Amino acid sequence: MKRIEVSKTSSKGIVMGKVFLAEEQDLSPEERVIEAGQADTETAAYEHAVEEVIADLEPLAEKSDIFAGHLELAKDIALKEGVLNRIQTQACCAQKALHETAEEFRMIFEMMEDEYMRERAADIQDIRNRLMRKLKGIGDGDFDSITEQVILVAKDLAPSDTAKLNLEYILGFITELGGVTSHVSIMARGMGIPALVGVEGVMSEVCPGDFVIMDASVGVIIVNPEPEVIEEYKKKVEEFDRYQKELEESSSLPTVTVDGRKLEVCGNVGSLEDVKNAVKYQIDGIGLFRSEFLYMESDHFPTEEEQFDVYRQAAELLGERELTIRTLDIGGDKGLDYFEFPKEENPFLGYRAIRIGLDQKEILKTQLRALLRAGTYGHIRIMFPMIISIEEVVEAYAVLEECKDELHKEGIPFQEEIEAGVMIETPAAVMMAEELAEKVDFFSIGTNDLTQYFLAVDRGNQKIAAMYNSYHPAVLRAIYKTIQAGHKYNRKVGMCGEFASDIKAVKMLLGMGLDEFSVSPQEAAGVKYQIRNASCEQAQKLAEEVMKQPVIDSVMRLLEESV
Amino acid sequence: MVSEKITVKNPSGLHLRPAGILSNIASKCVSDVTLVKGDKRVNPKSVLILMAAGIKCGDEITVECSGESEAEDLKTIIDAIASGLGE
Repeated sequence: MKRIEVSKTSSKGIVMGKVFLAEEQDLSPEERVIEAGQADTETAAYEHAVEEVIADLEPLAEKSDIFAGHLELAKDIALKEGVLNRIQTQACCAQKALHETAEEFRMIFEMMEDEYMRERAADIQDIRNRLMRKLKGIGDGDFDSITEQVILVAKDLAPSDTAKLNLEYILGFITELGGVTSHVSIMARGMGIPALVGVEGVMSEVCPGDFVIMDASVGVIIVNPEPEVIEEYKKKVEEFDRYQKELEESSSLPTVTVDGRKLEVCGNVGSLEDVKNAVKYQIDGIGLFRSEFLYMESDHFPTEEEQFDVYRQAAELLGERELTIRTLDIGGDKGLDYFEFPKEENPFLGYRAIRIGLDQKEILKTQLRALLRAGTYGHIRIMFPMIISIEEVVEAYAVLEECKDELHKEGIPFQEEIEAGVMIETPAAVMMAEELAEKVDFFSIGTNDLTQYFLAVDRGNQKIAAMYNSYHPAVLRAIYKTIQAGHKYNRKVGMCGEFASDIKAVKMLLGMGLDEFSVSPQEAAGVKYQIRNASCEQAQKLAEEVMKQPVIDSVMRLLEESV
Repeated sequence: MVSEKITVKNPSGLHLRPAGILSNIASKCVSDVTLVKGDKRVNPKSVLILMAAGIKCGDEITVECSGESEAEDLKTIIDAIASGLGE
């Protein structure tokens, strides 16, 4: 039995099961000079590998353009001629011939001017790896071979990996890389699957088929536990399930503190499908609808009608409850297939979010018109991301007014009184919070970016992941200042980052005066439970004490005592 | 040998999908097919070579066919490029 302690749990729950290790494969070619007369055997081996790869890709190609392209590459005659030529004239074995030919093509593509063509180098690499696996006779390492429930252990999981997974078979995720805001984490939370990320060295700590208990509630992995431990954990699983049930039962009760302050616990969503799911949980509204997914899933800029249709349906699903839709927040780490972003040294400090909207007003106007029109079907609020100045707010509001004028002239019905607010996620916005509050209808604090920008810590960088901490007194003070500024002008202040669902933080945020917690719908019940069991008066005292702390350690000590 | 000039209309040039379609069509031709762009001469039977030629939207290329069924093959390929190669 072996215990591994993990500091970062990104999606909670306790599960036990067999390990499926997404192993890193050695796909380097063997160094073997072939004897005269062996060329035919090597040629046959290569041709057989090609046939096998084609057979694998054909069914996939019917469903996806990406794989259809890969299939073309697998069949390519220049690739084949290059390989066979090397086997026959340079005494290369099939593996080495494949490696060298693929490298040659990869180099050609990598040196091309066109961005799209440069990226095709990765497709060549992919086809090379498929062929190499066949030559080496090793499994394709993808997830088709998972046919029973497993705990998936991997170095890292890319969106293209998780898209291939049959999630019914996945009990939990453990990855070596990634943080709580990485792709795997967000997906796992969305699906309610426990996940532990950033577990260094876990790939060498477990073997395929090992029995593992993962407790993502406290952050522990137990490899090959003794029977007593399994029994003990079976009880814990029961307890955890009971607590979950208790949460669910109390979740339909109103979000009110023991001393009677009414709050809102809302959901964060990224699509219409998500909204449908979210309303199954007892949420008081949607505090963040990430509209960029609408753009990312499309192969063109979604038209006004396409957007209107989605927003209207979402608004109808929520009825009187608020639906806060963030305008296109693209750039940074999120791109679009049909829009070329300039290559940037610092994309997170670059051409993104509202900056694009104000630069290319037609894109913003299409979205605002759709939102204004859908506003008549429910309680839609418009939220502008990445604001750093009053000027931007004035400009964005002017575009909104322009859209209203247009719709008015065209005789199209729309919501005249639509609320419009801003995300507070830059240091500049925090410093200008009072002036901003005067101008806008509401604030929503985006803690993921706020923490990254305030601390100047890249949230995707593993090496400094420990420095990314929203409990840093500077971040906490920024949050407090924002809430106070908003309240000075009677504006509702919400929070839509990961921090809002951190159970240790809820009471303190309540004490700071936060009005709305917007979290993954699955987390809503837990946050509500905390609020329903807290008193505002005590929470305020706690917040005041926390504000005096100069270091993270003393903040944590206070908060842990208070839970 | 027969040849004809044509302008490529595909918005992103001959990227993977259209190049794949063109190479499939070219592979079925019995004659030797060559695409000429500037001083580059490429065999369109290979999608890799075709893509590596970096043919962009608006580029004028010459299609050459030589051998048995050259006239027929030239027409097939010109028609395919003119029709936008599935795009």
